[in-house]
Amino acid sequence: MSEKKNVIVRIAGAAGDGIASTGELFGKTCSRMGLHVMAYNAYQSAIRGGHVWLQLNVGEEKTRCHGEQPDVALLLNKTSPEVHIPDMKSGGIVFYDISKIKEDLSVIRDDLQYYGLDFKELCDFPGVSPVMVNVLLAGALIQTVGLDTGVSLEFFKEKFTKKGDEIVEVNQKVFNAGVAWAKANTKSGLSLKGDGKKRMFMTGNDAIGMGLLAGGLKSYAAYPMSPATGILHYLSTQAKKAKIIVKQTEDELAAANFAIGAGHAGVRAATATSGGGYCLMVEAVGLAGMLEIPVVLINVQRGGPSTGLPTKQEQADIKLVMGGNGDFPRIVIAPKDVEDAFFQSARALNLAEKYQCPVIILSDLFLSEHYQTVDPFDFSKISIERGKFMKELPAGAARYKRYEVTEDGISPRLMPGAAGHMYCSGSDEHDENGELISDILAGLPRAIDVRMKMHPKRMRKEETMLKENDINLPEIVGPKDAKLTLLGWGSTFDYIEEACETLRADGLSVNHLHFTDLYPMDREKLVEVFNSCNEIVAVENNMSNQMSKLILAETGFELKRFINRFDGEPFTGEYIVNAVKEKELAHA
Amino acid sequence: MPEITDKPVTIADYKGDVHPDWCPGCGDFGVLSVLQRALAEMGIPANEVMIVSGIGCSSNLPGFINTYGLHTLHGRSLPIAQGFKLANHAMNVVACGGDGDGYGIGVGHFIHAMRRNIDMTYVVMNNSIYGLTTGQTSPTSGLNMKTKSTPFGNPEMPLNPIALALSAGCSFVARGFSGNPKQLVEIYKAAVKHKGFAYIDTFSPCVTFNKVNTAQFYRDNTYEIEGENHDKTSKAAALERALETDRIGTGIFYVQERSQYEEFEKEVLEKPLVQHELGLSKDLQHKLIEQFV
Ligand SMILES: Cc1ncc(C[n+]2csc(CCOP(=O)(O)OP(=O)(O)O)c2C)c(N)n1
Ligand code: SF4
Ligand SMILES: [Mg+2]
Repeated sequence: MSEKKNVIVRIAGAAGDGIASTGELFGKTCSRMGLHVMAYNAYQSAIRGGHVWLQLNVGEEKTRCHGEQPDVALLLNKTSPEVHIPDMKSGGIVFYDISKIKEDLSVIRDDLQYYGLDFKELCDFPGVSPVMVNVLLAGALIQTVGLDTGVSLEFFKEKFTKKGDEIVEVNQKVFNAGVAWAKANTKSGLSLKGDGKKRMFMTGNDAIGMGLLAGGLKSYAAYPMSPATGILHYLSTQAKKAKIIVKQTEDELAAANFAIGAGHAGVRAATATSGGGYCLMVEAVGLAGMLEIPVVLINVQRGGPSTGLPTKQEQADIKLVMGGNGDFPRIVIAPKDVEDAFFQSARALNLAEKYQCPVIILSDLFLSEHYQTVDPFDFSKISIERGKFMKELPAGAARYKRYEVTEDGISPRLMPGAAGHMYCSGSDEHDENGELISDILAGLPRAIDVRMKMHPKRMRKEETMLKENDINLPEIVGPKDAKLTLLGWGSTFDYIEEACETLRADGLSVNHLHFTDLYPMDREKLVEVFNSCNEIVAVENNMSNQMSKLILAETGFELKRFINRFDGEPFTGEYIVNAVKEKELAHA
Repeated sequence: MPEITDKPVTIADYKGDVHPDWCPGCGDFGVLSVLQRALAEMGIPANEVMIVSGIGCSSNLPGFINTYGLHTLHGRSLPIAQGFKLANHAMNVVACGGDGDGYGIGVGHFIHAMRRNIDMTYVVMNNSIYGLTTGQTSPTSGLNMKTKSTPFGNPEMPLNPIALALSAGCSFVARGFSGNPKQLVEIYKAAVKHKGFAYIDTFSPCVTFNKVNTAQFYRDNTYEIEGENHDKTSKAAALERALETDRIGTGIFYVQERSQYEEFEKEVLEKPLVQHELGLSKDLQHKLIEQFV
């Protein structure tokens, strides 16, 4: 096993017990010390009363997983012990609120260290409220894990300045009480040293939102739906600063069509939803394909089908985003991690304008909602390229044709409003000028001729995407000649990497083939990649192997061995390692 | 290719190259020519107009007028038109379509567009039938009306779109008749001029599939409300006329001066979004990062 030091912390309680704010305090203390954090929150849809927990894996090096067994836990409500104590690492430390948890916890397990804190006794000073018990426990936690408590005290100052000095002070006092108590009563031997580089502590949704802004987003429309809502919240708070329109519409039909209207006008536009909302958008996606309008649609997948598992993880919407009536060009991108989500969101806006077609980003609950540390993004890597977009035609230009047939399938795109070159874009099949062939002309030789020119013209864009190397092949990580290849896509990147590292440390010969660009696929090049691998096992966070089926349909290459998870949780490295060992895949 | 000059706008500027494929005698011809006249008489250059429609016979209109046009999905003209307008508010945006498009499949968007009050015009060509799909019942087909999908009579009450618009908070509510171009052109001009969402239900008879709501029917049953000193600033008065059952009023029912949506986005829309520079300032990039550190 590698030498890196890490500590896994779990914070659990009822919704409304301050789990998120405790997590933020802990996470930001770590990220500002230059530590790496990977967090995952499990919650029920109820705003209050449901059981919620947050697990954070803190390391001196990049942590790829939220990990399995916690070293330390903070338990804030009555339900917590039975749920979380069985998960703890042997010898682990449990802090709990004795006003809520009264039983003898050693009955559940006797190999852990239990520390009950009494808020009433420890925080007997003016201005406190019992809801601050999470702050007391956080003090004990941060001290025990060996973090710099001064960084936490600084955090309170920033967070509560607007609420006044008194609030800052009382929080600091309660926190210090926890620190002092832990110093006097616990011994953990844990200590973590950061590299001093300040990192961001953020979710995938934050990164997507920021990436869209960096990519020149001007109009965003959405209807709230977990787990995509974070993007709406983020962009709403930035709208005035970034001078963009953010519109909560009456439904997803409106959201997608609003974005399409904005895209047609000549601004960069996007919308986001989860699978159910995307179902309502499908007709609009085809419209963007037919009218050749740039638009970015983000589907943050959650457990399906139907309303499904609203607060749980799944990667099962490939079939959905590949759907729609008829054929139209599109691009599907599944970012592999939080940093990638930032860059892919900006890239998606460029690709949408270059190819004048819908670009779909497939995120998922895990990627979009988990917190992790990331190095500050390098905005200079992003350039805005608008393709064949023009605000005006050059003087003396020939009659403008909006849907001119070109070799690469992309027509020059003139911004509506320019004088002298009015055109009408229609969702029915149309000729180069946009004139419909559907009604009285339908079936006449001229109409058939138009159809046979225009439909291939649009579809040709997918060939151009491949020819111009705008679609990335899957990356291979690890030894090229490994006996076993784990194939994954989208958000599972870090988990599969973690599994590979563990398996290699155990002496197995494993590498990792990972897709972030899912569609279109370059048949020849992909078959070459697959043939260069030995045994390939697909790792999919769904039941029916949707990516493997897309690969089969697009390339003819059939994957035969699978590791699936569809219980509503994301993979972990350990889960994949166990599956590889149980199925004896590595010895195949 | 038309010359770009300062010469006055005429109705010829709005004449399209494509001859409408509507049935001879269809009410939509009247709507098209009145719309062309209204825009020309207002002196609006044709390239500054974007007409967005849904799907239906009536939704074919943008193909027959020489402006920018967008012929979209059944029921979705309004969200597309609103997204367009906020992206380029220098354009005059007109949405249009049928009664099925606006009051059936798209009625959710209709209600919220009225509340939202973005500065645009919405013309519904109401023929109380689904024309393009060859004559099924529509939300404004009368009770007991026989159509292809209701051979034993329509069992549903028709919608009263004017009353709906008044209660949904529409800031400009009007009704016209394509067979009364003199009144209709004035209504359209007032609608385009109105700051906010202007809606005009326009009777536009389908000569092929609706033998009840014919041009003669509207000539016999409509009256001009301005002829009766209608107070268009009074919602109560407007609602009273909207609920009349023995006759049908046409004209401007209600006008409310209230903030249009764009005013809430004043800082963002100081110039049209399409004219904004793309990309973030170094300072803003820094701020975005700092928020998460
Ligand atoms: C999603 C969808 N459903 C159904 C249709 C079929 N369709 C086309 S037009 C129409 C109704 C047309 O009626 P209306 O909107 O009143 O327009 P009119 O033809 O009467 O002018 C229908 C049902 C469609 N194009 N799209
Ligand atoms: S079917 Fe009716 S609505 Fe359609 S074009 Fe003919 S007359 Fe007009
Ligand atoms: Mg109709």
